[in-house]
Amino acid sequence: MTPALTYSAVSVGYQGTPVLTHVDLELAPGQTVALVGPNGAGKSTLIKSILGLVPVLAGAATVLGDHPAAARGRAGYVPQTDTLDADFPVSVRQVVMMGRYRRIGWWRPAGKDDRRAVSEALDRVGLAGRAGHRFGTLSGGQRQRVLLARAIASEPRLLLLDEPFNGVDAVSQDAIVRVLRDLTGSGTALVISTHDLQVARDLADLVCLINGRQWAAGPPAATLTEQNLRRTYGGSTISLADGRMVLVEP
Amino acid sequence: MNWWDDALHRATAEVILVGALAGLIGVQVVLRRLSFFTMALTHATFPGVVAASIIGVNILVGGAVAGAAVALGVAALTRRRGQDAAAATGVVLSAGFALGAALVATQSGFSRDLSSFLVGSVLTVTVQDLVTTLVALVVVGLVLSVSARPLLLVGFDRAGARAAGLSTGAWDLVLLLTIEVVVVTLVPAAGTILALSLIVAPAAAARLWTDRLPVMSVLAVVFAVGSGLAGLWASGRFDIAAGAGISLTATAVLLLSWLLTRLRPAVSPGAAGRTEVAPA
Repeated sequence: MTPALTYSAVSVGYQGTPVLTHVDLELAPGQTVALVGPNGAGKSTLIKSILGLVPVLAGAATVLGDHPAAARGRAGYVPQTDTLDADFPVSVRQVVMMGRYRRIGWWRPAGKDDRRAVSEALDRVGLAGRAGHRFGTLSGGQRQRVLLARAIASEPRLLLLDEPFNGVDAVSQDAIVRVLRDLTGSGTALVISTHDLQVARDLADLVCLINGRQWAAGPPAATLTEQNLRRTYGGSTISLADGRMVLVEP
Repeated sequence: MNWWDDALHRATAEVILVGALAGLIGVQVVLRRLSFFTMALTHATFPGVVAASIIGVNILVGGAVAGAAVALGVAALTRRRGQDAAAATGVVLSAGFALGAALVATQSGFSRDLSSFLVGSVLTVTVQDLVTTLVALVVVGLVLSVSARPLLLVGFDRAGARAAGLSTGAWDLVLLLTIEVVVVTLVPAAGTILALSLIVAPAAAARLWTDRLPVMSVLAVVFAVGSGLAGLWASGRFDIAAGAGISLTATAVLLLSWLLTRLRPAVSPGAAGRTEVAPA
C-alpha cells in the first residue's frame, strides 16, 4: 500500500533558508502523526510543505506516493480558525461546500452528490442544525468543527490539521476526536500539529518532536520522554506525580 | 426627436448603469475592506485623465494606465511582508491628486476643471459614455460571476485557498484590476466623490441588512441605482449638483439602514450576526 507520507532527511524553508531540518517520517494510511513543538518550531511550515506550498530544500518527500504539490487535490487541510475572516457573510453550508470546489470545478454549479456530501459532513460533526447560520456567529469550537466538515466533504486520503484544539471547548473537542477516529478507521491518514502533549498521547500513532529540526519521532510512549522534550523545548520540563509533564518554555 | 437626445434621459440611463456597476463591485470592496484602496484609485486616475487629454488620447485610456499602475503597485506592496499597505496607499492617493492638479495648472483654459473631476457631470454624458459604461458593466459582471468561488475562498480563508491550489496573489490582482476598471469607467462621467460613495455606501448598507452574499449583491445594486435616481431627481427639483445629490442620497441610505437595522429586533437565524448562539 502506498504510504500517506514519506519524508527522509528533509529540510523545508523559504527562499533557500531552511526553517526545519532533519525530518524523517513515514506515515501509513489510517495512521496519525502528531507534530509537537513550541510556537515557531516549524509545525505550520511542515504542514505547508506537505501541501507543496513550502519547498523541500533537501532530502526526499512523497505525499500519497506523489510529489507534494501534485498530491494537493487528495489532501485536506484544516487551517487555524483565527486566520479566517469571521465577518464574511458566508453560511456554514457554504463553507462546507468549499470543500467540494475542487471536485465540482470552480465554475460549475453544485450537484446533488455535492449537497449530500455537505449535509453528511455537517451531520458527522454534529452541526446539521446550524447549516443556515453565518459562520462568524458560531463559537470557536463550532467553527473548528465546520472546517473539519469542509475537509471531510473533500473526501481526503490525507488530512492536515493545524492546531485543531486551540480555543476549543470540551464538547467540540470530543466531537472532533470522535470524527478523527472515524476517519483513521476508514483509512485516512492524519497529520495534527499541537502543543498539547495529552492530545498527542491520546490520538497519535506517531509523535514527531520538532523545533527547528526533528529531535525525535516514534510511538508516543517511547518518544514523549522527559529527555526528548527537554531537547526539543530547550527548557525545563517538570514531571508531576501522576505521570503528566509540564513544559516550562524558557 | 430621439429619446437619447434628451440630456436628462441620458443621465437617467447612465445613473442606472453606473449604479449597477458600483453596487456589484462595492460588495467586493466592502467585504475585502478595500474602500481606502478604491479612494486612492479614484484620485490616482486623475493625473492619467489629465495627461491623456493634454496629449490628446482617450481619457479612459489615460485613467486606465494610471489606475493599473496603482493596482499593480498596491498588489506588489501587500505581497511584501512588513510593508504598510495603508501608508503606501495614502501616499499614492495624495501624490496622484497633486500630480493631476499640477498638470491642470500647466494648461490654461483646460476644459475639465477640478470641480467636475470631483463631483462629475452626469448631466453631460454622451451616448458614447453610455456605451462605455454598458460594456464595463457586462465585462465586470462576467468577471465577478466567473470568479465568484475563487474570490469567496480567497477573501474568507487565504490559507485554505492556497491549500486548495489557488494563487491568492493572482486573484487579488484580478479583484484590484476589476475595481480599477469600474473606477476608470465611473470617474470621467461621475467624478471621484460620486464614484467612491456609489461603490462603498450602498454595499455597506446592504451588508447591514443581510448575511447572504447573493442578497447583499442584489441589495447593493438596488440601493446604488435607487440613490442614483433619487439624487438625480433631487438635483432637478432642488437645483443642486447631480453628483452631490446622488452622493448625499447614498449616504442617507447607509445612515437610514444603520438606524433601522439597529432598531430592528434580532430576526431570522444567521441574520446580520446578531443571532444568539446557543452553547455547543
